[in-house]
Amino acid sequence: MTISWLQAALLGLFACLSSMPGLGGSSIGNYTLGRPLIGGLVCGIILGDIQTGILVGCAMQVIYIALVTPGGTVSADVRAVSYIGIPLAMVALGSYGLDAASTEGTALASSFGAMVGTVGTVLFYGTATINLVWQHIGWKAVEKRDYKKLYLVDMGLPWISHLICSFIPTMIMCKLGANVVELIKTTLPMDGIAMKTLFTVGSLLPCVGIAILLKQIVKKATDFVPFFFGFVFAASLGVNLVGATIIAAMFAIMNYKIKMLAIAKPAAAAAYDDDEEEI
Amino acid sequence: MEKKLSKKSLLKSFHNWYYGHLTCFSQEHMQTFGYLCAMLPLVEELYDDEDKKAEAMNTYTAFFNTEPQLGTVVVGITAGLEEARANGEDGVDDETINGLRAGLMGPVAGIGDSLVVGTVIPILLGIALGMSGGGSPLGAIFYIIAWNLFAYFGMKFLYFKGYQLGGKAVEVLVGPQGEAIRESVSMLGGMVIGAVAATWVNVTTSFTLYNEAGEAYLVLQDKLNEVLPGSLTAAFVILCWYLMSKKKMSPIKVMLLLVVIAFVGVLVGFFNPGLSY
Repeated sequence: MTISWLQAALLGLFACLSSMPGLGGSSIGNYTLGRPLIGGLVCGIILGDIQTGILVGCAMQVIYIALVTPGGTVSADVRAVSYIGIPLAMVALGSYGLDAASTEGTALASSFGAMVGTVGTVLFYGTATINLVWQHIGWKAVEKRDYKKLYLVDMGLPWISHLICSFIPTMIMCKLGANVVELIKTTLPMDGIAMKTLFTVGSLLPCVGIAILLKQIVKKATDFVPFFFGFVFAASLGVNLVGATIIAAMFAIMNYKIKMLAIAKPAAAAAYDDDEEEI
Repeated sequence: MEKKLSKKSLLKSFHNWYYGHLTCFSQEHMQTFGYLCAMLPLVEELYDDEDKKAEAMNTYTAFFNTEPQLGTVVVGITAGLEEARANGEDGVDDETINGLRAGLMGPVAGIGDSLVVGTVIPILLGIALGMSGGGSPLGAIFYIIAWNLFAYFGMKFLYFKGYQLGGKAVEVLVGPQGEAIRESVSMLGGMVIGAVAATWVNVTTSFTLYNEAGEAYLVLQDKLNEVLPGSLTAAFVILCWYLMSKKKMSPIKVMLLLVVIAFVGVLVGFFNPGLSY
């Protein structure tokens, strides 16, 4: 499989839309187009092989299922995962002669996702840094009370940041992808230490995403109990995500009712005291 | 005459936020410019006087960053407060509005991250992954529709709810009731994240000891599964949490450490992804 300039440019455009401070807006861009599963569909359509695209997207989505960006700390860049990683993995599968649905195929896709995603954070910090220039223009506009210009600053000028940090890198990486894959293939054999490490990192990385979420929730040791409660439901009892959510919602509602009761109680007690005095 | 924001400006303000909250992101100002764009249609409708306009806009130049989906409620609240200020209501000034924004950023981000990013998105993706088995595009299409309907209408509801309740919404978010909601949502989020970790994260070891006849007498992964299935996954999650929470390491540093752990693990035969051509 080879990628033409036109296909590479289209992938570059989607990279602009989907990244973290992306131009599709975070709901449509980052949280829809940026998810590797959706990226798999888009890449599949652009490259003319939807089935492989989706299979590769699924493999990468698993790694980044709990990808959060708290306070703008980015641990992996979705534009790189979805629009550089997926096309390259698709090319690589063809080059290695692997079936995307096989275990080796999935492992290969995951390792590409992990590698490209981590390297891609450079693109995120690059975009955010260039945006500082536009924001400088924005502050000038606020001072001069030229408020209409804010739209240009917020929604127009960042395209330039993305042209530099999303469009061009994606287009070039995808176009040269076949050569890069060939290079990786000859220098890093699959059963060598480097590839094994890469694949292992791929399986360890989701732990960071989960831990970032836990950091928000866990303040003391007992806060770990709900986490393990959910963990045991899925790992030992085999309850799926929807089932686990329903069970969790039940406990959350019970907790809420108890808390509300505790809030209402002192007030009720005070009212009772008032009654006493009146008598 | 009492000033009242028209539905048209409110919708424009909402759409500006819905689309533009992160488009011009930088580490320094984060969502501040998105906020300015969201407030602009409202300020233009409420004030004719240029100085008043400038005074109102200057309020929103203060730093703002939160979880954008749930954060819509904050924009809605300030829309209500700005209307109150334009009507000369007592006690609504720069300080009240910015105090409120600063006070809400943290709690809203906490609830939003665990509810939206930690619960809703992984669940929708989990369902979608199940539907996409074998390379079917069905799951991807399901996610696109389900998430975007949820995000658009959920955010619109929050915006207008915030606008109607104004200052009262703050009580719900940071008062004792807010505390109860936050705690319950954290609990829900914690359990779902646990299930997500157990379902989609899979850290396994290939560590095995053989006797002289070449038979394996200790397969560590099997032993670990007897203790608790997925115990190694849980151990790594807690390690990452410990490093970030207690040792204040950045996620990037933790990832680099994981690379080192993986490398050493592969060398000593603890990890083996079992690759071959």
